[in-house]
Amino acid sequence: MTYFLDLISSGLAIGAVYGLIAMSFAIIYKSTGLLNFAQGEMAMIIAYVAWSISVRVEGNPFIVAAGSIGFAILFALIVERIAIRPMMGEPILSQIMVTIGLSVIFRSAVVLILDGLPHNMAVASGNALVDLGGVRLRVAQIAVVGCLFLAILAMWLFFRGSRFGVAMRAVAADEATARLMGVNIGRIQMAAWGAAAVMSGAAGVLFAIAYELSPALFHLGLKAFPAAILGGLDSIIGSAFGGIVIGITENLVGGYISSGLKEIAGFVIIILILMIRPYGLFGQKRIERL
Amino acid sequence: MRSGFFKETIVEHIHLTDSRLQRAWILIGLAVLLTAPLWLNFYGLSLVTLMMITAIGAIGLNILTGWTGLISLGQTAFMVLGAYAYAISTETWGWPPLLGFALAGIVPMLASVLIGIPSLRLTGLYLAITTLASSFIVNHLVLEFDGLTNGSSGIFVNRPVIFGYAFNSDASLFYLVAGFGILAILLSLNLRRSRVGRAFFAIRDNDNAARVMGINLSAWKIYAFMVSSFVVGICGALYGIFLSFVTVDGFPFLLSIEALAILIVGGIGSIAGAVLGAIFLVGLPELLGMVFSFFGPEVQSLLATSAHEVKGVLYGLIIIFFLRLQPHGLMGLWSDLKRAWTIWPLRY
Repeated sequence: MTYFLDLISSGLAIGAVYGLIAMSFAIIYKSTGLLNFAQGEMAMIIAYVAWSISVRVEGNPFIVAAGSIGFAILFALIVERIAIRPMMGEPILSQIMVTIGLSVIFRSAVVLILDGLPHNMAVASGNALVDLGGVRLRVAQIAVVGCLFLAILAMWLFFRGSRFGVAMRAVAADEATARLMGVNIGRIQMAAWGAAAVMSGAAGVLFAIAYELSPALFHLGLKAFPAAILGGLDSIIGSAFGGIVIGITENLVGGYISSGLKEIAGFVIIILILMIRPYGLFGQKRIERL
Repeated sequence: MRSGFFKETIVEHIHLTDSRLQRAWILIGLAVLLTAPLWLNFYGLSLVTLMMITAIGAIGLNILTGWTGLISLGQTAFMVLGAYAYAISTETWGWPPLLGFALAGIVPMLASVLIGIPSLRLTGLYLAITTLASSFIVNHLVLEFDGLTNGSSGIFVNRPVIFGYAFNSDASLFYLVAGFGILAILLSLNLRRSRVGRAFFAIRDNDNAARVMGINLSAWKIYAFMVSSFVVGICGALYGIFLSFVTVDGFPFLLSIEALAILIVGGIGSIAGAVLGAIFLVGLPELLGMVFSFFGPEVQSLLATSAHEVKGVLYGLIIIFFLRLQPHGLMGLWSDLKRAWTIWPLRY
């Protein structure tokens, strides 16, 4: 029973990491119709920057958090401005290919510039174990679940209440009409990229604290695809839920069946979902008009 | 210079070429290719062999991505399946290599039906994700079934012996690959001008319109998947023979990106573009090596120790630059040049 609870709780933690990255996919997809294949790589780069900061400030959590959030926003804006903005209005194949190109560049650049070795990242007491009624979790694992709920709440309030959030929803619903109403699409895209980078950056940094920092961190992005698709690519809160489902399923498969199957459990789920409900559990069914 | 194209029958229209000049160029090109082992050194020969293998893979992907408009990130998966089908059938079971090649095409073809069926309802983004997922699933399956595939230690592949002739020397391997390359080009040229090719183009250009014209979308999409993965599987088998060793590590995911980059560099949908792109992308790291050697041994050793990463950055930059500045690729550049040459000194 403890084993089962352990699997569930650590699955929840890793699921929250996937959920945060899946939300990043969803927010960019919702506002611009583009899937950012480089999201996991961006999370990795932000985690590396956070690590470089943490080494210099002896793991002061506030400086690390402020530094990495600032970097995440700056990084996302630069990438969006240089690589993505000029591709607006191009065919979807070209846009996807640009993000795929970015992902290979980031992945290789980290290994070239830094190194390919795993590092331990120590920030405050992020590594410490906490006993929650028999289940032992690391502080960073609990923090990532907290972050996910915070992100869900923030997104919900943002899209319901704020002027900008309403504009974003308008762009998602009908880009041409939104433009006619005076919505600046460029700014919407910038905001989406910034928010996505902060969320996936938080996921990357907390994952690095709880487990380890290595160039293999970009795999989180690949693992988050099933989460986003399970929840529905256009549903931000659905993606978060999808992340948790995928994380727990993966851990249960790894714990009870085989560790090799754990790695591909998410991908098998994707293919099954796409066969049954291609628009995801919470996504909007697309009705095409001829 | 002819002033226009005048065709009176459909047979004339679908001829591969009716220009004597073009035929002459093809003959010269073939002569250069077939005499290449006589004047190329060992290194150059293996580079050209690798270019041809890559070109076969790109031609295969072009059928799916360039013609039918289905984005695939599963190139690596089909190559792995082809390479393992060949290695297991010829090395473990002792089948003759020709049967091995047939199996190297058929296994990925069957797998592509499995991957293709869930993708029928999907377009663009989702298809890219399912094919990406499939490439990870295939890698893990290969590692899981280690009784058959030898797991992570891989299978050693001997050079094939076909009809009593052993393809042991590098020159003979070159001819084998060249033979397959010419076959792949002929196959796809003839596919392009047939009913099949026209159906693919129709699906790419407007799937609803194609459907109204009586094209069964599901059947033709699966068919595109099958033809494409057959060719890619053969490419995988040849790559395995070229490396003389088949492991999962020998087929990194970067190969899928490389194949898409080749199509973009060459010009999506064009066979000549796929070949040109392959030559460009395989040759580029060598060119880069020469440039690096000017900067001294330290920079050159960087290229040697982290070749995979340098290639990754290079492919990424090339994809982005071509999409931004020359979306029609090298073939687009070529037709621009031709146009400029014809109408010079006028601008249009």
